[in-house]
Amino acid sequence: MLNFKRIFIEAVIIVSVASVVAFTYNAFSANGIDPFKKVDDVPTVPSEKADDSHANGIVFIDIGKAKEFFNEGKPIIDARTAEAYREGHIPGAYLLDYYEMGRYMNKVLMHLSMDEDIMLYCSGYTCDDSELLARELYTMGFTKLYVYKGGFDEWEESGMPVEGGDGKAGGE
Amino acid sequence: MSPFFDWPLQASGDGTEERRRERFERMKTKDYIIIAARVALAAVFIYAALQKIGKPLAFADEIRMYHILDIGTPLYIMAIVLPWVELITGLCLLAGFFIRGSCLLLVALNTIFIIAVALRTHGIMADEGIPFFKVYFDCGCGFGATFAWRKLAEDSLFLALSLAILLAPTHSFVLNPWRD
Repeated sequence: MLNFKRIFIEAVIIVSVASVVAFTYNAFSANGIDPFKKVDDVPTVPSEKADDSHANGIVFIDIGKAKEFFNEGKPIIDARTAEAYREGHIPGAYLLDYYEMGRYMNKVLMHLSMDEDIMLYCSGYTCDDSELLARELYTMGFTKLYVYKGGFDEWEESGMPVEGGDGKAGGE
Repeated sequence: MSPFFDWPLQASGDGTEERRRERFERMKTKDYIIIAARVALAAVFIYAALQKIGKPLAFADEIRMYHILDIGTPLYIMAIVLPWVELITGLCLLAGFFIRGSCLLLVALNTIFIIAVALRTHGIMADEGIPFFKVYFDCGCGFGATFAWRKLAEDSLFLALSLAILLAPTHSFVLNPWRD
């Protein structure tokens, strides 16, 4: 006869031990996250309401504004994976893989100022890694963030310059 | 008496070697099947856990694709804790420690996985207008993209194995912490 009370206690002990180990590991991991961070409170501004004075928050921009960023030499962040970055990226863009922020964040942040305009992109309209990364950066104090929703796919299809290789993959 | 170490043929020095040898010799085919099922389930869940541990954001994003949890604390906690539950459950199954408790968790997890994959498959079928057997996506399970029907079949198999181990009358190769 199975003792279900005992089985349930065993399951609770396993989950409890796993939770303690998981949060401890997360606290010391380079890719650890703060589960209580309120990244969904970040204000966003749609592209048509964004003006040059720039409202505080994340602004969604189209390819026209993205071209301005590129031509003016403003900092651009590629939120995709290192593999996708090496296959092709917007020239001069920094690699900051959203899913491996701990690996790239410090290398990239040392080149950025909190009061300058920063554009972020990922692969295109179906991805939201650039927006998620922008929310993370906003919580760190960067307030002038522009997310190019068309992403690399639209950029490449528009015949804009593309660069392959490591580029600024190391944050150099 | 029920010693903590209850692995057959293990020398304990407490005079129970002969009893253990007898038990080992009496082991039947079904006992070996249960042990094989334990090893198989352990291998699957340990491998799956190792693919996700240390990548909480990537795993959170995969969970989010199921549209059950949105960005926020519950999603992040699940992304941090679930891989470790899988890893420790797998290790317990291998070691023979808390076997039934581990299997209770695997029954619960696999039931949730099956429901979640089925709902997402239904959503993809409705959105993209493709038949069931052509639905293909990355379930976030740690094994990469696969056909939905195949994932559902795998999870059903894991559920059946978990139930078989959970409800097995006896287990061999166990570490029993309960002194009774």
